[in-house]
Amino acid sequence: MAEESAGSGVAGVAEAPVVLEMRGVTKRFGPVTANDDVSLVLHRGEIRGLLGENGAGKSTLMKILYGLYTPDEGEIFVDGERVEIRDPKDAVTRGIGMVHQHFTLIPPLTVAENIVLGAEPRGGALGISLNTEEAVRATEELSERYGLKVDPRDRVADLSVGVRQRVEILKALYRDVRILVLDEPTAVLTPQETEDLFAVLKELVADGLSIILITHKLGELIGVGDEITIIRDGRVVGTVNASRTNEGELARLMVGRDVLLRVEKEAYDPGKVRLSAENLTVRSGTDEVAVHGVSLEMRGGEILGIAGVDGNGQTELAEALAGTRHVESGRVYLDGEDVTRLGADARHERGLAYVPEDRATKGLVQDFALYENNTLKTYDERPFSRFGVIFPKVMRLRAAESLRAYDVRPPDPDARAGSLSGGNQQKAVLARELSSDPGVLIAAQPTRGVDVGAIEFIHRQLLEQRSEGKAILLISLELEEVRSLSDRIVVLYAGRIVGEVGPDATDEEIGLLMAGRTAEEKSA
Amino acid sequence: MSENAPGERGSAFGRMLAGVLGPLVFPLIAILFSFAIGAVIVLVTGNNPIAVYAALVEGAVGDPLALGRTLLYTTPLIFTGLAVAVAFRAGLFNIGGEGQLFLGAITAAWLGVSLGFLGPVAIPLVLAGSVLAGFLWGAIPGVLKAYFGAHEVITTIMLNYVGIYLAYYIAQHPLRQEGPIPGTEPIDYAARIPTIGAALGRANYGFFIAILAAVVVYLLLWRTRRGFELRAVGLSPGAANYAGMRLGLNTILALAIGGSLAGLGGGVEILGVYGNMDVPWVSNLGFNGIGVALLGRNHPVGVVLGALLFGALTSGAQEMEFATDVPLQLADVLVAVILLLVTATKLVELIVGKRARALAGARMDEGLGS
Amino acid sequence: MEDLLGASASILQSTIRNATPLIFAALGGLFSERSGVVNIGLEGLMLISAFAGVVGAYFTGSALLGLLTAIGAGLLFALIHALMCITFEADQIISGTAINLLALGGTGFLMVTIFGSGGTSPRVNGFGSFAVPLLSDIPVIGAALFDQSVLVYLMYILVPVVYFAVFRTTFGLRLRATGEAPEAVDTAGVNVQRMRYYGVALSGLLAACGGVYLSMGLLTSFTENMTGGRGFIALAALIFGRWNPIGAAGAALLFGFAQAITFRASEQVIPVEFIQMFPFILTIVVLAGFGGRAIAPAAIGKPYRKE
Repeated sequence: MAEESAGSGVAGVAEAPVVLEMRGVTKRFGPVTANDDVSLVLHRGEIRGLLGENGAGKSTLMKILYGLYTPDEGEIFVDGERVEIRDPKDAVTRGIGMVHQHFTLIPPLTVAENIVLGAEPRGGALGISLNTEEAVRATEELSERYGLKVDPRDRVADLSVGVRQRVEILKALYRDVRILVLDEPTAVLTPQETEDLFAVLKELVADGLSIILITHKLGELIGVGDEITIIRDGRVVGTVNASRTNEGELARLMVGRDVLLRVEKEAYDPGKVRLSAENLTVRSGTDEVAVHGVSLEMRGGEILGIAGVDGNGQTELAEALAGTRHVESGRVYLDGEDVTRLGADARHERGLAYVPEDRATKGLVQDFALYENNTLKTYDERPFSRFGVIFPKVMRLRAAESLRAYDVRPPDPDARAGSLSGGNQQKAVLARELSSDPGVLIAAQPTRGVDVGAIEFIHRQLLEQRSEGKAILLISLELEEVRSLSDRIVVLYAGRIVGEVGPDATDEEIGLLMAGRTAEEKSA
Repeated sequence: MSENAPGERGSAFGRMLAGVLGPLVFPLIAILFSFAIGAVIVLVTGNNPIAVYAALVEGAVGDPLALGRTLLYTTPLIFTGLAVAVAFRAGLFNIGGEGQLFLGAITAAWLGVSLGFLGPVAIPLVLAGSVLAGFLWGAIPGVLKAYFGAHEVITTIMLNYVGIYLAYYIAQHPLRQEGPIPGTEPIDYAARIPTIGAALGRANYGFFIAILAAVVVYLLLWRTRRGFELRAVGLSPGAANYAGMRLGLNTILALAIGGSLAGLGGGVEILGVYGNMDVPWVSNLGFNGIGVALLGRNHPVGVVLGALLFGALTSGAQEMEFATDVPLQLADVLVAVILLLVTATKLVELIVGKRARALAGARMDEGLGS
Repeated sequence: MEDLLGASASILQSTIRNATPLIFAALGGLFSERSGVVNIGLEGLMLISAFAGVVGAYFTGSALLGLLTAIGAGLLFALIHALMCITFEADQIISGTAINLLALGGTGFLMVTIFGSGGTSPRVNGFGSFAVPLLSDIPVIGAALFDQSVLVYLMYILVPVVYFAVFRTTFGLRLRATGEAPEAVDTAGVNVQRMRYYGVALSGLLAACGGVYLSMGLLTSFTENMTGGRGFIALAALIFGRWNPIGAAGAALLFGFAQAITFRASEQVIPVEFIQMFPFILTIVVLAGFGGRAIAPAAIGKPYRKE
């Protein structure tokens, strides 16, 4: 393993030698400039935050550093030496490692096999055998040294997300990296796991590594990193000291103007129950129980927020309520009627609209025209169809109206859905779902991966529906979004509702619930 | 063919042109490369490629008799091509055309003999039987996929052989005719599909049944609710499920409809060309249907054009072998090379550039669920 | 009793003979599919090699040179498949189908060009039976297992060798990883495309041995379309054996056994056509999840595209 010089501390980072410099990096994809003259300096033993909205160019920059993209212009220096990084192998040779947002692990292989892959210890008479004992030993050694607890012989497929992330970090450490890039590492973690991760990262920099931490969450880096660099529209718009900044300043830099972190909404005046679930149990696609006996009620004129870390049953709950996933046991009532055994189309006809979390693979047929997508649920109803025959002309006319009403650009019914930006795709989904004037709306991560303008538009639409007396279920991974829009918040953990709080609950309160600590445990 | 890529349509003339030419990029490159490779092969065997290809064209369309022969070879390929295309539109790979064709054929061989006394009235009844046999045979991999998650590529491949051996068993045991040649009894001439006219040789009205099938497939896919569902399921199973469409039902129907088209093809071959099923019977019509469908970009119009090309190659090769020293299997080689190249995305990008490739629309195998 | 033993020995012998080409091809398919490339072109790879072996032996008079020619042809066709699937990102199913049609049309074309007519080629020197001293003297099984073509002995060696290569070497680890999660392999600094080329090339090499066994081990001449679906049965054995060399060999032996008993049993008991369907039906049953589902490598069939 690497022979770090002992004693290099966190103190005096600015005086520590520069390990990485990116100078004037520019990357274009066709007409889009993803990185525009970006420069970045990283010192030994530093944790550098890289903050920006989705699509601001953070990941592109890091993929250039890791050799996955080739920059159009600009230079990269590692330890003062100019380098060309053509592929990940080059990057690793230069001591640069990366933990991707989507893990790059091989589920059927063991932890040790995953860690050594590509740099395997060899053995046997011919020197071509995999030396499994050595791989296990090396993994154990690293695991102990940095407090990253794993069992080398476990199959990755059987591990939790948090442990998989540790395996990813160990993979980089096994290759003696000096610079470690983590892309949105906390997206999949509970607040507690996040704290554990940051503790590990501090160990690593104390050992002389340098870390770049990519995130789009405002508060996360404050107090953790040394400096935070903010990227907007592919350019560096500022670098601030992590301990002396605040969320307001970061938000302003990230978005380019003052952002209202709080939205104005009308007084809470709940009506009668529109949609309710009783003791709902649902299985996931991998046949595990994803929702355990969840009961909830949504009233007209309210937004019920569901908070939780990704993968705690939100998707399955939304799908079970909307009728696209089989309910194992329990009941779903829509305006008093038992709809448990009804399909998605029948529930839609009864006034239930559903904005799915994944517009690319669920909300829209990417290769269908907008007019076809606009009638994805009503193609079998009049006036779009009769006697099994469909009428594309009528579909086009109706689509043109609703696309204009919801400001979808371009408002061309014949445009392919996949050719639109994320924000416009989401507006097209909203246009379809809201144009039927539903009584109940399930919105799963409605603002994921869309630009700020579209976020504001979508938030306005949700609040408007609330004012009109609709019942809205808002599922979001962004705690801030849930808090600012919801009237009540329930927290989902491991498929169970672990608590309900008001919108003024503190981050800590909700965070503990998200980590699975119920109210009783806290008081105990 | 504008329905192929609705999103590419627009006001601009350029987009319109791209909409028309785009879908042809892949097929044209595959065809051109294939003929170039064919020319090299011909040169190596010491022949003149120009003379050989001239003989090939002459033999395919040079006179009414040649044209008739081309139509004769084209007919089954339209059916097996449509069998692949319909399933493809629903996101499924139907490699089972061969077996489905055999089941339709053996059904026709049986019904044709049993109902032969009815004369021409038997024809629609027999063909309906072939359609039903193909439908049921095609539904098997659909059910296996919908309810058991078995991938249709492998199950349809396996079912090809099961279908062929089943047909051979029936032809050699329950239906075996008296005499030395293994096979079924010949069907009464009155119950066979008539030929179009003496000038066109053995070409029969089966060709028009094939064209009709293509029209029906077009209307089904783009003018009916079922077609809307099949296409939505094919392009995005997630979105189709979200919209409340039944994935399992559509999977079964797509493969069953594909099977019924191939089955009808088998029936038309028996009633129009062979009059009975000998053992061994024709081969590779199902596999060549895959090439036809891809060449035609899984659009019924394209399928007819693709089948005409393959039919013409097979037909022309017979004259070519007669007129030159080149074996008629050159046609098989050309067809194979076209199939080899027709989905070669990166090759097309290399030749026409990335942007032009993008105009050619999505990858042809895109949307195939696994 | 003596008769029963004799019959058993003869069934065992013919089981091995039927299974050998299937095992070669299935082991080849295993390398390709474990690397993430579907290979339904095994049939074509076997066919072109069966032909090339005979051509090589015909012109050189040497069976060994025939085998080398066959391996060359198998490699060439496998590399065409690799070029299409890996470099040009063509659809793997389509390319495999095209390889089968190309081999069928190509051998037909070359039969006429080289030997003047289709049908069956002239006879050549093949790999005849060779009794292994001592081992072949073991009662009952000795002659059945050890009085076979040299190629059968090669197969005996290859099964454990392939098992070792796939599950115990660093190459095997990388190969399996490539078939499961190519992006993970890429970020680990291993060249995904190169691993897949190795996998597909090995499938050509091994399928070639299977093809040569057909035309020069069992027979001494080439007949058009002589593989007769054996490539697909090998594919079935590979799936039935769950992409494991031992499993695939076991499945091939089972299929070979089924064939062997039909030649002995009178046709009235089970019609031969039903025995011929047997491997295919069994594979469908396994794919449908009866008796434990067969799960393919996760990334199989998908071209790997760097971002």
